[in-house]
Amino acid sequence: MSESNKEQQPKKTFAEWATFAIACSILSLLIGLVLYNWLAKKQEPPIISVTRNTPIRENKGQFYVPFTVTNTGGETAESVQIIAELRVNGEVLESGDQQIDFLSSGETQEGAFIFSRNPSQGQLIVRSSSYQLP
Amino acid sequence: MKKSKRHKNQWSNELNDIIRGASGGFLFGIPLLYTMEVWWIGSYTKPAEMSIAIATTFVVVFLLTRTEGFRKTKDIRWLDAAIDTVEAIAIGIVCAAFVLFLLREITPETPLQQTLGKIIFEGLPFALGVALASGFLSGDRYQSSDSDNEPTINPTVADIGATLIGAMIIAFNIAPTDEIPMLAAGISPPWQLAIIAASLLISYGIVFVAGFTYQAKRQQQQGIFQRPLSETVMAYLVSLAASAFMMFFFQKLSFDDPWSIWLSYTLVLGLPATIGGAAGRLTV
Repeated sequence: MSESNKEQQPKKTFAEWATFAIACSILSLLIGLVLYNWLAKKQEPPIISVTRNTPIRENKGQFYVPFTVTNTGGETAESVQIIAELRVNGEVLESGDQQIDFLSSGETQEGAFIFSRNPSQGQLIVRSSSYQLP
Repeated sequence: MKKSKRHKNQWSNELNDIIRGASGGFLFGIPLLYTMEVWWIGSYTKPAEMSIAIATTFVVVFLLTRTEGFRKTKDIRWLDAAIDTVEAIAIGIVCAAFVLFLLREITPETPLQQTLGKIIFEGLPFALGVALASGFLSGDRYQSSDSDNEPTINPTVADIGATLIGAMIIAFNIAPTDEIPMLAAGISPPWQLAIIAASLLISYGIVFVAGFTYQAKRQQQQGIFQRPLSETVMAYLVSLAASAFMMFFFQKLSFDDPWSIWLSYTLVLGLPATIGGAAGRLTV
């Protein structure tokens, strides 16, 4: 042990320097990305938008309404609540809700609501109703 | 264990040191990788807090490297310890990123901040494991007692037992948690194959590359279980069986479940179980 210390410690081998160089570049890349993210980040609260791009599909008498929720703001939103209401003649016939655990800046999540009545016969509203800040 | 300063050996020594570090990281870090709360912390942490986390870990890893480290040599000098600290953190970050990617917690679609947060908060505990690697994996402390008493039971039985014990110690904490169904739900068949490959590689790395003082002795042992490749495969199967049993024990799996659920849960829990099993074989 002591012998190898004497041989190895004062002079690092080329392989050790190579490892160190790679390690340094990994670490500086990481720190660089954190700093970049810090500076580039928009200092604004979450902006949640819910969109329905995919068509509604029907299967065995049930109607699946896919939705996409995106956070275009700067901060992460927690417990994002999405609600869907089906109104016919101004009256809410069916509703559903859905919770997304975390939605960080720029993140998109997908899901679907399931209705037993055909949503195209009434007015379908899908929106986010609330979120928490972590 | 004679060290040569020749060109070829310097690279293989270096590679062994890195794999030893990574193995220590896996042993210490894998239970946290299967903790969803840590992913969440990563999801909402702000860059300022990430920088503080890296700085704090640097100090702790530095102090650990001065006493343990992941190399065969002890780092006496401050500069060497600082260099090894940078390397330990880099190994931790790379390993954690690899497993997070394997478990589909990070995908190319994950936003940058979330990716960074997850990698940092999972990678820093890994770095602590890297810094302790020579402590857990050297086998130095057991060597004198081991070489005096030749094993009296069949070495194959001893290895199966050791694999089971190690797999239980690491995976028993993970088996009843919700992370297993959650991860299994997001992992498609090609990724299941990748998990199998990674489990085998990590297990091989821990037993046959990282356990440096023990390695020569292990390769001399007789028995069907003792060839490095067959031992790795057998130990993986034993760990998978142990994982399936643990999931069954905690009623996460029942006989009514389809076989595909059994397969996916077992493979997901099989990764930590294999790592534990490999560590178990080193210490027995």
